[in-house]
Amino acid sequence: MDFWRHTITILQKDLRAELRSKEAINASFSFALVILLLFSFAFDPTEDTVRDLSGGLLWIVFAFAGALILNRSFARELPNDCLDALLAAPLPGSALLLGKALANLLLLLAVEAVCFPAFGLFYNVRWTRQFWPLLIVVLLGTWGITVIGTMFSALTVNLRLREVMLPLLVYPVMIPCLMAAMKVSNQLIGGEPLDAEAMVWIRFLIGFDVIFTSLAVLLVEIVLVG
Amino acid sequence: MREKLIYILGAVAAFLFVRNLNVILNVLPDEAQQGAMYRIMFFHIPSWWTAMLLATIACYTNVAYLATGKLKYDAISVSLTEVQLPILFTGLSTGMIWGRIIWGIWWTWDARLTSALVYVLLCCGYVILRNGIADPTQRAKISAVFSLFAYADVPIVWLSIRLWRTQHPSPMELPSEMWHALLWNWLAIILLMIVFLLLRLRQEEMRRELDGLRRLAHAA
Amino acid sequence: MDARNFQYMFYGFSAAWVLIVIYAFSMLARERKIKAEIDRLKSMMEEKERK
Repeated sequence: MDFWRHTITILQKDLRAELRSKEAINASFSFALVILLLFSFAFDPTEDTVRDLSGGLLWIVFAFAGALILNRSFARELPNDCLDALLAAPLPGSALLLGKALANLLLLLAVEAVCFPAFGLFYNVRWTRQFWPLLIVVLLGTWGITVIGTMFSALTVNLRLREVMLPLLVYPVMIPCLMAAMKVSNQLIGGEPLDAEAMVWIRFLIGFDVIFTSLAVLLVEIVLVG
Repeated sequence: MREKLIYILGAVAAFLFVRNLNVILNVLPDEAQQGAMYRIMFFHIPSWWTAMLLATIACYTNVAYLATGKLKYDAISVSLTEVQLPILFTGLSTGMIWGRIIWGIWWTWDARLTSALVYVLLCCGYVILRNGIADPTQRAKISAVFSLFAYADVPIVWLSIRLWRTQHPSPMELPSEMWHALLWNWLAIILLMIVFLLLRLRQEEMRRELDGLRRLAHAA
Repeated sequence: MDARNFQYMFYGFSAAWVLIVIYAFSMLARERKIKAEIDRLKSMMEEKERK
């Protein structure tokens, strides 16, 4: 189980680096809360409108705040040739990708853990009624975002226009995942349990996660090393 | 040799288009519910078929590039993807015009339209990505990997009307004369796309020659 | 209704054709630019060799 040992090492390294400097996570928290605040001015948050918009609003916030974390993921390794050191290390590229993706997942989940109560406060929504299904959907959707974002972070790390290219490339690929997550979250935040249609979307999300994780794991070695 | 091929194919495509337009406009009758408007499907459907076909071939050449490292596969991939852009926009606009008349709406967010739009955005992103990278090998590698991720959307576009209930019409039976007209028009569009492809490939070769010359000129 | 549908059908056809023609022209323009640049570089290098 060397592979998992390598993955966990990278995961710990990234988390430790991020938690010590807190650059990306602070930016991400502030950005998410500011967007939530701005949206409450954008439309009048009455009971009905919020219930229709909650899923979409929250996942847009997560996608945008996540981009800040994901951009830093490989960009952090550029100074002092740390990326070269990582590539020279005796670990497979897929372990590097998975370790970083898991670290990003935990960081983004932390941001979401703050966003949900903030959302409940600002918009007067009781979002905990279907807590466990909501947690599963949030996990699946966030993994979709992080695995694609980490992969594309690796892809764009050496480009001049990295900060511009990453959102441009990542958001269209994430659209199916975000759509599924938004639809189901909307239902769950509104308090309704999962029905047959929601299960179709959840299966779609799981399929999306499986396909893109496999693609990323297969192709990351080529991207990083050539 | 290639010049001649381009001209011949272009001429055949032009002839086929004229012949098809004659069939579409004069020979085929009006449809019961849609009047004349249904004839747009003779451009809309083959456009999307061609785009999906080119995308699938590009998937193969991308894998071929990643496996072998030969830049000629990269040249074919970029030509296939760039040439898809006009045909994708054609497919989108013909669909939207048809939808405005028949359904009363320009757009809706059902599975087929959304996944198709995502695919168009991904193609545009591919072109922008390529323009942003100067080094040929790095450009080829990064765009090949991105293209493979983008290809994951194509099966969703194809299967969306078979798996889900969508605003977009489901697969249907057509009378044989309409089916023939459809296939002939598809042939014409494919020939036109091959002409564009050959032109784009030639441009890619010229660009590589230009790169080499620039490097030589600056080294001297 | 039928006459109007005919008119919109022509809009649809023209949209398709206009996009194709625009693309064809832009490709030809690009090719001309590349060719001009290649010729310029070639003549520049020939001049350097002559010196």
